Amino acid sequence: MDAEALLTGLETETGWQRRRDGCWAEVDDLDPRAMTRLLSKAEARWVTLTVMPAGTGFRLIYHWDLDGELLNIATTIVGPSVRTIADLLPAAEWVEREMHDYYALEFLGRDETPPLMLRPDDEPGLFSRTQDLGRDVDPAEYDERPTIPEGGRP
Amino acid sequence: MSPVIPVGPYHPALEEPYKISLDCEGETIRDADIEVGFNFRAIEWLAERKNYVQALTLVERVCGICSNVHTLTFSRAVETIAGLEVPERARYIRVIVAEAERLHSHLLWAGVACELIGFQTLFMTCFALREQVMDVLEAISGNRVNYAMNRPGGVNRDIADPARVLAAARNVRTATERQLIPVLTTDRTVHARCAGVGLLTREDALALGAVGPTARASGLGQDIRRSAPYEIYDRLDFDVPVRTDGDVLARVTVRALEIVESCRIIEQAVEGMPEGPWSSGDFPRIPAGEACARIEGPRGEVFYYVASDGSDVPTRVRIRTPTFQNMPTVRPMVRGMTLADAPLIQASIDPCYSCTDR
Repeated sequence: MDAEALLTGLETETGWQRRRDGCWAEVDDLDPRAMTRLLSKAEARWVTLTVMPAGTGFRLIYHWDLDGELLNIATTIVGPSVRTIADLLPAAEWVEREMHDYYALEFLGRDETPPLMLRPDDEPGLFSRTQDLGRDVDPAEYDERPTIPEGGRP
Repeated sequence: MSPVIPVGPYHPALEEPYKISLDCEGETIRDADIEVGFNFRAIEWLAERKNYVQALTLVERVCGICSNVHTLTFSRAVETIAGLEVPERARYIRVIVAEAERLHSHLLWAGVACELIGFQTLFMTCFALREQVMDVLEAISGNRVNYAMNRPGGVNRDIADPARVLAAARNVRTATERQLIPVLTTDRTVHARCAGVGLLTREDALALGAVGPTARASGLGQDIRRSAPYEIYDRLDFDVPVRTDGDVLARVTVRALEIVESCRIIEQAVEGMPEGPWSSGDFPRIPAGEACARIEGPRGEVFYYVASDGSDVPTRVRIRTPTFQNMPTVRPMVRGMTLADAPLIQASIDPCYSCTDR
């Protein structure tokens, strides 16, 4: 099965795009478990999950490899939880624990989500709690305060 | 009684921290639990607070062995966002340095594996060969690790003496073909210690998302250089060694054969390297956008996602290293094996905990 047929099967309203870095699809109300079943059946290889804050929720990008083509399936969730795929795909076990460490994102359906990078007594959500720390460069002031030197040489 | 034997996080022989708890029945391992994160540095978090020049320097510190692949992957993601084209000579230089890095990584691993097997003389052979590669990398970049070669839009240095690189590649290839491969693939000691040990089936490799030589030794023919070619790999003649046995011997064999292929790639790249610029000039301003990039590192696929809001600080840098995917494969590998096999099995995936923990 090719990437085009697979992504069409995800029923994305905005369709998919083929870019320089692979195929991209934005899917509203993505069912990650249906996606996992679909792609696993096609022997797509799991790459990883990217999570980033988006408003009160998160933007999630599931990355897969299908015969060398990178498939990036993105969705935005409003709340702090999403259904787990680790029981369907053991390859996703560690990354779910990692994203729980970073963003306190709950993966519904897991019996437990032990820390991976943090220690057992650490509170999950390290990146979320410290989101504003260390960001001393205001993008709005970029033109006035470039941190890349004139001439551009590092 | 079923003792659980905790190993780590500090090891007398391995200079990286991790912990594996082996649930044993006598001498036989029933199951294992793996803990990582002891070297967690929050590099993704830090990279989202550095400008692109600083972030480039930072990501080179993800790993002390395959540092070059991290700057290359990060640079390629940034180039995709900015729509940058890389000069031809820079593409060749990137491939030469990337393959030299693979050589020194594989030879390091082969040496460590030989030591674990108890084959001290072959350990010395591997490290003598590796030293030649390290000398070449030092001559090119001025450094033995953290070469600082890559930047968005090209490379930071030219290769001043290609003939020296070519001579070293030929020398390593000849020595590998004549000494290393025959011993690693036919010697009784190696065979007795590695054959049938630490099995990873093709199904388990796929289910666990294994990458690189670990996956290729279990019958998965994936190699980003071949399946999604970047730089000049689509113009080069090289094989992707694949084995189906899935044991330690298969992983040893795949890496040994890859040493030869890396030498062949370097030889072709040096001979075909065109004259011309090796950088597109000033450090570019990065527009708003997002992109992914993948490189076939020594241990397998390295993945980066970079998002930009148009400022000089990336808004998200996501790094997935090969050992992060490969480390869980140790669990099925050690099940049913004897306790004495555990160190060799762990080493057979060529783990890098610094990469994993980031």
